[in-house]
Amino acid sequence: MIDDESVPDDALLSGIAVGDEEAGLVFVRRYQRRLYGLAFGIVGDVGDAEDVAQEAFIRIFRHAQVFDTRRGSVSTWVLTITRNLAIDAIRLRRSIPTDPTDPVFLNLMSNDRSTDGAALASHDVARARSALATLPPDQRRAVLLAALYGRTAEQIAQSESIPLGTAKSRIRLGMARLRTGVEIEEPQ
Amino acid sequence: MNRPVERHTGCDDVRADLAEVALGIVSGRRRSEVLEHVEGCARCARELDELTKLSDTLVSFAPRTEPPVGFELRLAQRLRDDAAVARAPWARRVAVLALAAVLIVVVGLGVGSLVTSPPPRAIVATSASLHVAVLKSGGHPVGELMVSAGRPAWMFMTFDDASWSGEVTCEVVFADGHVETTGRFYLSGGYGAWGAPLRAPARDVRDVRLTTLSGSVYASARLPV
Repeated sequence: MIDDESVPDDALLSGIAVGDEEAGLVFVRRYQRRLYGLAFGIVGDVGDAEDVAQEAFIRIFRHAQVFDTRRGSVSTWVLTITRNLAIDAIRLRRSIPTDPTDPVFLNLMSNDRSTDGAALASHDVARARSALATLPPDQRRAVLLAALYGRTAEQIAQSESIPLGTAKSRIRLGMARLRTGVEIEEPQ
Repeated sequence: MNRPVERHTGCDDVRADLAEVALGIVSGRRRSEVLEHVEGCARCARELDELTKLSDTLVSFAPRTEPPVGFELRLAQRLRDDAAVARAPWARRVAVLALAAVLIVVVGLGVGSLVTSPPPRAIVATSASLHVAVLKSGGHPVGELMVSAGRPAWMFMTFDDASWSGEVTCEVVFADGHVETTGRFYLSGGYGAWGAPLRAPARDVRDVRLTTLSGSVYASARLPV
């Protein structure tokens, strides 16, 4: 039987690409909380978040057969698709994004590792998580607003009531510190 | 008369914006300027590459939230609608239709339990089996092969320690002795991943071998009987 915890993401995508319905179902079950959670964090609306997450799944299924593992992990690919769709949804529908002071945002680093699979077990992610925790709060906030919610420096400056230069500095310094703290492994 | 401001895109100028480019939050024109510089600067290219990987990693920190009740049912409907209007290759439509069908069946059988969390898992993978075997080259492990008895059956292989680059042909040897060529793909710098459907039951697969253009076997794996 397919063990839905142990089958790698890229193997599931391969199954989806050839029409294996069980691979598809395992994939949906594996990712629906992550995609919906990310979408909801960005659009801040239950209905819009569901639309975004479902559209993301549709695109993932459409393009499963052309996914190239050399360009990154499946996890990164599907979350990036979701993030971009959610940001597009905000721009198109002018919906109000999640309040960055919301407790969900402030506790962005989910402690739920039960469905992380390989992604959160990876060395890079664990180190990034540790490095993020050591950043000054202002820098961590700016980096996460940009990375997760696609906020530009101008938008961060506006929402945080700080000069544009300060917002750009927080992003740049935060990313530089994270980069120093995370040893990005090069492909062998 | 206003003249466009020419920006000097030297390393110092570019590095100030590399993080924002990596995060995907920079406008098109400035992004183009930075990327143009990066194209000819190995140091900035490396820094942008590392920052981009970091940015991708950060996305995985998004919080997890249980979707609303009925999410899977509505997703199944959308997948079915999408398949009906898609101008996609037949195989892709089959894949989408297949998932839509199974989601509808699962949700139809278990809609009551969808109210609770976590979602029902009992119906997942009722018939499929997954076999895993090590791909070896010259006796050394170079990758992993997975063969799934799903509907349809399929196989997927990854190479992470190959010492050779080039095109390989995948051949599957079945229990009755016949050999089927399932496709070709490239190994590059020791790395490669490839998958394909099987036109025969997965339980009949005995060996999978990868041959080079010269016909020699580069790597192979034997499935348990």
